[in-house]
Amino acid sequence: MSAVALAPEASRRRVLLVLTEVMSHGGIQRFNRTLLTALDELGASVVALSLNDTDGVVTDSPFSERVTVLGFGRSKVRFAAGVARQLAAERFDVLFIGHIHFATLMAAAHCLPRAKRAPRVMLIAHGQEVWESIRGGTRRALGDVTDVVSVSAFTQERILAQAPELGARRLHVFPNALAASWIQWADQGSALQDPSEIYGRYFLSVTRISVSERTKGLVAALEAFATLTDRSVHYVVAGSGDDVTFLRWVTQQLGVEERVHFRGSVSDLELVSLYRKSAGFVLPSGQEGFGIVFLEAMYFGIPVLAAAEKGANDVVSDGVTGLTVPFGDVIGLARSMTRFLEDETLCQRLVANGRALVTGDGPFTFAAFRQRTAALIDVPDPVRASP
Amino acid sequence: MCGIVGFLRHTDSRPSPERFAEALASLEKRGPDASGTWVDERIQLGHRRLSIVDLTEAGAQPMVSADGRYVVTFNGEIYNHLTLRAELDPPGGWRGHSDTETLVEAFRVWGPDCVRRFDGMFAFAVWDREAGVLTLARDRLGEKPLFYRVNREGLAFASRPTALRRLGGGSLGTLNGDSLAAYVDLGYVPSPNSMWQEVRKVPPGHYLTVANRSLRLVRYWDYRHIRPDPSWNQRPEDELIDELDSLVRQAVKARLMSDVPLGAFLSGGTDSSLILSVMKAVSPTVPIAYTIGFNEPEFDESGAAAAIAHHLGVEHRVQKLGVSSLLGLLPDAVAAYDSPMADSSCFPSMAVARLARSGVTVALTGDAGDELFGGYHYYKLAERMAGFMRWPRFLRRKFADVCGAVPAHRLNLLAEAMRKTTNVRMFHFVRSMRKDFPSILLENAGATPSSYYFEQAAASFALDLCPADVGMRLDVAYTLGDGYLTKVDVATMASSLESRCVLTDHHLVEWAMRLPVNYKLRNGQTKYLLKRLLCRYLPEKLVYQPKRGFGMPVASWLRGPLRGWAEQLINERSLFEGTPIDQESMKSLLALHSKGVRDASPLLWSSLMLLCFIACHERGLSLPQFDVTERAA
Repeated sequence: MSAVALAPEASRRRVLLVLTEVMSHGGIQRFNRTLLTALDELGASVVALSLNDTDGVVTDSPFSERVTVLGFGRSKVRFAAGVARQLAAERFDVLFIGHIHFATLMAAAHCLPRAKRAPRVMLIAHGQEVWESIRGGTRRALGDVTDVVSVSAFTQERILAQAPELGARRLHVFPNALAASWIQWADQGSALQDPSEIYGRYFLSVTRISVSERTKGLVAALEAFATLTDRSVHYVVAGSGDDVTFLRWVTQQLGVEERVHFRGSVSDLELVSLYRKSAGFVLPSGQEGFGIVFLEAMYFGIPVLAAAEKGANDVVSDGVTGLTVPFGDVIGLARSMTRFLEDETLCQRLVANGRALVTGDGPFTFAAFRQRTAALIDVPDPVRASP
Repeated sequence: MCGIVGFLRHTDSRPSPERFAEALASLEKRGPDASGTWVDERIQLGHRRLSIVDLTEAGAQPMVSADGRYVVTFNGEIYNHLTLRAELDPPGGWRGHSDTETLVEAFRVWGPDCVRRFDGMFAFAVWDREAGVLTLARDRLGEKPLFYRVNREGLAFASRPTALRRLGGGSLGTLNGDSLAAYVDLGYVPSPNSMWQEVRKVPPGHYLTVANRSLRLVRYWDYRHIRPDPSWNQRPEDELIDELDSLVRQAVKARLMSDVPLGAFLSGGTDSSLILSVMKAVSPTVPIAYTIGFNEPEFDESGAAAAIAHHLGVEHRVQKLGVSSLLGLLPDAVAAYDSPMADSSCFPSMAVARLARSGVTVALTGDAGDELFGGYHYYKLAERMAGFMRWPRFLRRKFADVCGAVPAHRLNLLAEAMRKTTNVRMFHFVRSMRKDFPSILLENAGATPSSYYFEQAAASFALDLCPADVGMRLDVAYTLGDGYLTKVDVATMASSLESRCVLTDHHLVEWAMRLPVNYKLRNGQTKYLLKRLLCRYLPEKLVYQPKRGFGMPVASWLRGPLRGWAEQLINERSLFEGTPIDQESMKSLLALHSKGVRDASPLLWSSLMLLCFIACHERGLSLPQFDVTERAA
């Protein structure tokens, strides 16, 4: 496979992204797509090399012809070779390293004789993967990086604590946002059955359900849910994973198995309909690097309940844009869920403040994201610049 | 300390007055001083009283609130009830000075959430006559037991399963296969489950409301999310010791509330020595300490206890026994523990309770110190394992494969522990009694892995705990309430003695959760800070004296005086029916143990106790006989 050729316009920023994945579900994938969309709209010529996407050029991408996404079908060897070829073929203005695991690979690739180093090399730091792991070769490889963009203030703090030599000036908080395409279909009405006709009032969690991710806080949320006075309320969990058997056992222990519904992986349309009628979005996670699902819930005008931990703090501010409790605080969770059910004034206030974050001039809109991207790669934002 | 029982009917049928009286009578040991019932068209409430506070009729139960709406039957003590009285103003004024009256008036004003204000040990039921709602509540760590059974006829509750069995006409329904498997694994059945499918425990720190047949279980207190505070590492150690001292003193003072004489158990270990020392310092009267000593020097710690009592200047009563004579308690223990008790230290507990009851009605104990302040050696093991757990998984697996291939039993166990993917699973493995003999359980035994209980509790633990902290919190979640505190409650109640555990004071527990682990385990030492505090009361040589193995010589019993008895039990095929235990495996295990190939006594003992429980309580059979003196000789 040869290197991807860029569009010839000399005035365009030429950007290379080395990413884990672009086209599937997941927070990192969505961030990557939002970033590519922003770069696309800013007129950059973009090549995205993606380790886990299907082999070859991705043809069904939502981007213009300026953006090429090249998948490597999970082959690390071919991926590394592809990176080397691309660096040899073209000098890019900006290189985004999409995962810290690639930092060493990129440092090595830059040492190759024909490699053309980009003047700006930016590492994207999402969350857990950088909170504890910067040491040894990875830390040395960060010397090759000109900027680190972190999705949350917590992630930035963790990086600085582990690699103080980077210095605060090379670090930028660069939060995720709701993509315009997501908002477009979110705003479309759903022909699916209204979930409230099935469940009545219900709480919603949207998350992976994995044995290795118990710190998502689902068990605590279920324990809290079981104590609510209103026994007509249901709880819907959207998301798939290998921990459903355990969670079902928990619901049996708690005596709420008939009111808790594990929906598995749901389609986007189903998800939209679940969001719309939910009495509250609950994800008291202790491991969110950012928590895009909170923004989605806010967009649909439902109050959110989070753990006051890590990246979620950038999005959910207790009593302002949602409610927060310490991680694992079951009693606090139950109290907050009760407030969602009983305190309409509170809910209205939280919802109004939450929506302000993701609409208009809010910091988590796509427009704000594009503006941040423009500043990062040093080009004017055509939309903001126009009168 | 008392016994409670009740029945809330859902249909026209209810236990006859005679059957209800029989159920109540089964709790007589818990409350030998008086008995009372309260009945209306929906509910029957019963109470057996051990009079401790307000010995007059004004403290009799079941008790009705001043406004006549609420009726309570209550087992336990609320130590801060006089403080709470200042906030309550019952119509017609206070009738007596019992904590029961405070409880029912607190419930009248604050509803079931009144438990959040209670500082004490309790299990109670309150019947709201107007709303037709029953509330069952249990103390924070599970000092006082409370079982309930729901079926078509209604909801029955009681301090012990025996009373539920009597209410149910002699049966408690089908045994719970998952619970039996969990018992063989852990040595107890984790809450909320019990040995029987229809019977559950109100878990520690919860209350249960029953309205229109709908049950709602509410957790009113939790410690799991409290984080160790790293800033405490910057504080002077003396400041932390001052705080701990103050908390222990407050907890002891609160537990001195009594209208009858008080004493303390003294084993010679850190916890009981600390309790006695503080008791001596804060009590207006000189306490009496009780110790069981053994004729065999390798088990006897009474010398250490005597030195401590002598230093403190307290009266010390010691009873010396031959270890084998404790075996004489076996039939009593099997009868008293109406769920199987795997912990053989129930024998000395029963013996010291009998001794103490000869002089006092209430005794303070030092239980929970090990779980809160890092007393067990397996916490140290967990810390050592932490290094391995940080290795990349593939490397750990490879190393485990190498260790597993070496023909050395301990190394094989280490290999198995290293294969666990999380600290919780690793700790569960370390705690598991059948880890070195997994075939004791039939292949299809128990649909639910017992690790699920641990994993559920741990899912709400504060983030980033070290393995030892994870282990301590898991022990507080289950091992303490479902194991040790149950052991003490039944052992003391069998002698109508009220035990009061000092270190379960919830202020103290919450403080212990904030305490960084290096104040619990340091330089190979367990209970570091607790020992530093004890040094304020006792000379160092008494604090740091070497501990003898206080465990019962079950291993030698099973090779000696109890071997024939064990063989008879194991050969009785009918006892294995409906259990997950493989009879042939158990025979092999006993053979391995008898030949001295392996010390399998913990697993053998717990399994034998399960067979005894099935024989005595489920099948109504008598246990095989054994002659202690002859065999021991």
